[in-house]
Amino acid sequence: MRVKVIGIPVLDQDKALAFYTEKLGFIKKVDVPISETSRWLTVVSKEEQDGTEVLLEPAPLHFEPAKVYQQALYEAGIPYTQFNVDNVQAEYDRLVSLGVAFSVKPTEMGTVKIAVFDDTCGNNIQMVEML
Amino acid sequence: MTLYQSEIIRIRELCYSNTHQLQTVIGTKNYIDQHFEKELNLDMLSHIRYTSKFHLLRLFKRYYGLSPKQYLTDRRIEKSKHYLRSGMSVTESCFAVGFESPASFSTLFRRKTGMAPGEFQKRATFAK
Repeated sequence: MRVKVIGIPVLDQDKALAFYTEKLGFIKKVDVPISETSRWLTVVSKEEQDGTEVLLEPAPLHFEPAKVYQQALYEAGIPYTQFNVDNVQAEYDRLVSLGVAFSVKPTEMGTVKIAVFDDTCGNNIQMVEML
Repeated sequence: MTLYQSEIIRIRELCYSNTHQLQTVIGTKNYIDQHFEKELNLDMLSHIRYTSKFHLLRLFKRYYGLSPKQYLTDRRIEKSKHYLRSGMSVTESCFAVGFESPASFSTLFRRKTGMAPGEFQKRATFAK
C-alpha cells in the first residue's frame, strides 16, 4: 500500500488551483471532469513532481459534515495539513509579499519552525522546516 | 488567540523548554546535513557534541522520532534521488551520498522508495 494522493477540502476548485499553483508554486498534475461542477484535480510539488499528489476536493460543497468539519478546524486555527519547506522565514516573506495571510508567524517549536497561512479556500495550512 | 495558537504555546513550554538538549540534537542534525556524504558514526557525533553516545541516541530519538543513523540514511536516500533525477549513474549517486556499496544502496533505496534506483531514474526521466 502506498500514499499516492492526500486530499484537501476546498470551497472553490478554480480558486484553489490558482492559489496552489500561482502562490504556493505547485504544478497541476491531473485535471479530469467527474461531474458538471466537480473535477478530479491534483497538484504536486515542483521539486517532487513524482511525489504525493494533493487532491483539491470540493467535498464541503457536496457533503454537509465535511463543510462543518472544515469550518470548525478553520475557526480554531488548526491546520488541515502541512507542507515541508527548506526555510520557513524565506517562504513566509515570499508569501506575504504575494498577499497571503498568516495566522501564525514563523515560530520555533523545538526541532521545527512553523508558520500557518490561510489558503483562501477554507483551510489553514502549516509550513514546517526541520531545524 | 485561536485554540491552535494557545496549543502552540502550551506544547512549547511542555515539550521544548530544555534549550541545551535542543541545541545538542539540532547541532547533531545540522552536522549530519552538512557531512552526510562522509563516514559518520555515533561515536564521532557524540564526541562533537561533548556527550555520551547513548545519551545522544536517546535525545535524538526523543526529539526527532528516529535515530541519527536512520536520519542519515533518509538524508542520503533523499539526496540520491536528486542525483538520479539529474542523470547521475546509480553507482556514482551511491558513492556521492556516502554509501560504500552499490548493492546495499540499491537494497536500502528499494526499501525506502519501493523501487530500485535504476527504475526510479527511468520513471523520473520519463516524467520530464
